[in-house]
Amino acid sequence: MNLPSAIRRYAEHPFRQAVGILVLAYIVVVWVVPVLPGSAIVPKSVVLQYMVTVLVGVLIYVSDNEERWHRFKEPIQAVLVEPRLKLVRAAVLAGVTALVGLVAYGQVTTSVAAPPNLRSIHPAPPAEITFRGKAITLTGLENPLRQHTDSLAAYLAEGKRVYYQNCLPCHGDHLDGQGHFAPGFNPLPANFQDNGTIAQLTESFVFWRVAKGGPGLPREGTPWNSAMPVWEDFLTEREIWSVILFLYEQTGWKPRTWEKTEPGGGSRETGGGHD
Amino acid sequence: MRKLGAVAATGAVLALALAAWTRQPPPPAQGGGTVSGKVKFTGTKPTMPKIDMTEEPKCKAKYQGVPTDETVVVNANGTLANVFVYVKSGLPASYTASAPAGPVTLDQDGCRYHPHVLGIQVGQTLAIKNSDGILHNIKAKAKANRPFNISQPTVMTSNKTFDKPEVMVALECNVHGWMHAWLAVLPHPFFGVSGADGSFTLKGLPPGTYTIEAWHEKYGTQTATVTVAGSETKTADFSFAAK
Amino acid sequence: MIDVGAAVALIVMLPSPASRLPMQDTTRGKAVYVKWCAGCHGDTGAGDGVAAAHMLPRPRNFTGGLYKIRTTASGQLPTDADLLRAIDEGLPGSAMPGWKGRLSDAERRSVLAYIKTFSSFFADTSQHVVPLKFSSPPGGGTGADALKVGRQFYDSIGCRKCHGDQGRGDGPSAPTLKDDADFPIFAADLHQNWRFRGGGAVEDIYRRLRTGLDGTPMPSFADLIDQKFLTDQELWRLAQYVRSLSPAAPPEVRDVVHAPQIPGTVPASPDDSTWARVARYWFPLVGQVIHKSRWFAPAVSGVWVQAVHDGKRLALRVSWDDRTESPDTAWLKFEQRILQTVAGDDSGSPPPQAEPWPDQLAVQFPRRLPEGSGGMERPYFLMGGATDPVYQWRWISRPRHAFAGLARGIERFDTLPGAPAGQATYDRGEWRLVLTRALATPDTANEVQLEAGRAIPLAFFAWDGSSGEHGSRMAVSTWYFLALDRPTPPGVFISPVLAMLVTLGLGLVVVRRAQRRGGARHIS
Repeated sequence: MNLPSAIRRYAEHPFRQAVGILVLAYIVVVWVVPVLPGSAIVPKSVVLQYMVTVLVGVLIYVSDNEERWHRFKEPIQAVLVEPRLKLVRAAVLAGVTALVGLVAYGQVTTSVAAPPNLRSIHPAPPAEITFRGKAITLTGLENPLRQHTDSLAAYLAEGKRVYYQNCLPCHGDHLDGQGHFAPGFNPLPANFQDNGTIAQLTESFVFWRVAKGGPGLPREGTPWNSAMPVWEDFLTEREIWSVILFLYEQTGWKPRTWEKTEPGGGSRETGGGHD
Repeated sequence: MRKLGAVAATGAVLALALAAWTRQPPPPAQGGGTVSGKVKFTGTKPTMPKIDMTEEPKCKAKYQGVPTDETVVVNANGTLANVFVYVKSGLPASYTASAPAGPVTLDQDGCRYHPHVLGIQVGQTLAIKNSDGILHNIKAKAKANRPFNISQPTVMTSNKTFDKPEVMVALECNVHGWMHAWLAVLPHPFFGVSGADGSFTLKGLPPGTYTIEAWHEKYGTQTATVTVAGSETKTADFSFAAK
Repeated sequence: MIDVGAAVALIVMLPSPASRLPMQDTTRGKAVYVKWCAGCHGDTGAGDGVAAAHMLPRPRNFTGGLYKIRTTASGQLPTDADLLRAIDEGLPGSAMPGWKGRLSDAERRSVLAYIKTFSSFFADTSQHVVPLKFSSPPGGGTGADALKVGRQFYDSIGCRKCHGDQGRGDGPSAPTLKDDADFPIFAADLHQNWRFRGGGAVEDIYRRLRTGLDGTPMPSFADLIDQKFLTDQELWRLAQYVRSLSPAAPPEVRDVVHAPQIPGTVPASPDDSTWARVARYWFPLVGQVIHKSRWFAPAVSGVWVQAVHDGKRLALRVSWDDRTESPDTAWLKFEQRILQTVAGDDSGSPPPQAEPWPDQLAVQFPRRLPEGSGGMERPYFLMGGATDPVYQWRWISRPRHAFAGLARGIERFDTLPGAPAGQATYDRGEWRLVLTRALATPDTANEVQLEAGRAIPLAFFAWDGSSGEHGSRMAVSTWYFLALDRPTPPGVFISPVLAMLVTLGLGLVVVRRAQRRGGARHIS
């Protein structure tokens, strides 16, 4: 008895192939996708969409060839007709009926859910802000501390102190947004290790977010929920630029920079990414 | 007086010669020099806070009045009790002392430590006794030795030893925040604690010049230099002033 | 030239002495330590990094070689596995995160080697480091008999002296507790095992009883077994009893508190039997670290919330663990030590004065239910703002009463005439508070109108007066939701039954047709 060949023969049947593909697709979507780096649990509605797509594909495949289609229908036909499968037939009928009842009940008794929390994660920054009464133009602004290459180590040390004394409870020791107070807030504090936060931003954007905090967000950024403090109430301009230096240094990301397209004129963002 | 000293010195020399002859080291308790003295206290005697033992009726019942904290205990004769006096330095480098076989007992009785200040030799057993029969934990906040914190919820005795000299190891009970004691671990037997008359005695010192330190938990330390020869007795008095 | 070559070859060929390896390890470990650990634990490992004063408990001081979570006897050094566990898993209930998945295996192992260099004890070969042998838990640990035995020993060996009668860390000795560095320390709240530093499993609890938590007031109970005062099995029973005080699994945070509609009138008392039948929801609270003056050491780690309504009134039951019925002068010294230990925004000036402050709780709603844009928009979660106030119920422990008002930021609170009814019980380390109010009130401009079937935003704030919490020094939550459920109308069952009938009928038709056709084929 050759086991693999038995399995192969077993799996050759188009009906079993179809069922196998559907089960495999479900396992991948529900259990495998969430563990992939950078992904999350797939919402139920999306799972349904995926499964319908897979089902349509499977049906096209089995009905593509006359003989395959015939063989595919065989077990279904058998369940419907064969006298010896009477019990199975009854069970399938009862099962499908119960399932429909449950789904229908679930549809009519919708319980109150939290409203969707749709927010723009990186809303468009203003061109200019007022920092403690001083106007700062954000467009085209680079971290001024980077010019002082000989003092960079001192600024980094200052940035580290500022981070540990102020940012750590929420953004965490590893800068991944998982500080010991993070679970208390929604949205969760930004994860600076992720390639979707500071790696995608200019330092002037980060300065704006730090200086003005949650209350400084536009409406699409859901300012009522953000626990980000207004740091201009706590930190000086230099301290904020220092902590921004530290964020990039500690995570290894490079900030996006402004590309000067015309002298004294417009500029646009460019670059960004990892070391 | 001088004659007596000369006789003592001769005796000591004879004893040493005898010791050399028999190639036996002199037993420290017999012979040798003695340093004794009193610890005086000057200034106003501080009032120690009262200890509220309402939570522990068993302990409270052991006192006539309200017990007070034992941080500063001034005796009736104006001397200071619970001062730990010991040879800090001066022993020859080759000096070694093996730990006595018997234990030193620290008793927890009436939700207080008895004695409040004590010394022990390296390797000697400290028998920690709970006479109260209620939960005490005893925590030794040692630095040079390993610290420990054990629980004694009943009448029982636990034994501990210390393998490095350390002055002082703070002992405390966390169940009863007022309970604390001080333990000195020394590599030699030359230590004492000023008692109810304020006096102390260090016996059996080999001839030499010693730095004697007097330690008090609130008033700090004082030192005296004393030279002993033979089996003479020298006096070293200390005086602590109120702070 | 040849000689040099030979010498090089010789050096290369010489086996490197084993003692070299740790050196290599600690160089690498130092780099990891400086980058990721020194901010809290300090450059010299003394637990005095720049962030240290913003934490309670403080970061570990490595110089004494003294560790809480070990598998060795009290006073012994920890094993490497013990230290690695703390690095990997972190210490729940403190600021120490787990570094597994954040640092590589090699990085974690090398930082472990480096941490050991801070204390000379690890280099002292005379030190005994013998991991204790632990038995496995006896069965039946969740049965009533086992728990009764555990409870007997909880009483007889004096656990309640610090942990309190119900294990909420409110024992008579609790206000005097301090650690070896003289920082104030809380007796653990045994109802929150997910915050136990060494883990919340029954095995972890048993191990802590055997080893003690060195550097803290928690002693080792090992001598009791050695001296036959209690058996190993009885110590397990005690661990099982302690484990039974916490929920089976750490509470899951759900967004919506469902208030079922009950017949009759809503219960006004926190100890009404209704509450035993209503689901409870856990909401974590964290320090108010957003607005001056910030507070880094929140005493209340979360609230349990239950709600019911009767169609006319809502009853909201909030219970939370609190070691004191504040104001309590017995805790003044403890409070003073907390205020001296935890850094705040008043740097330079002396720490705030300890006063016998009361306990407080606030439940926050928007003034009106959000309309439009998906019903998302609401006032600022941290007590609203100057132009966008929030409606709050507040309760205070002395004089004990509940009131309502509008908050416009943390500093401004204007009391409204209408107040919810409040009834509270303080019971051995736990506050249980019920606030009730009519669903609809006359002041529709300021007081939220509680409609069934809507997601009503709500948030919580708590103050423990005896931990120095007052004003902006408090524990806060983000916005969650309250939903007043409608009773299930009988009509709800009609459509599912219809759908089932149709399905069954269709199924039967399909089978019948298939059989007729199949049968015909068989005949032909």
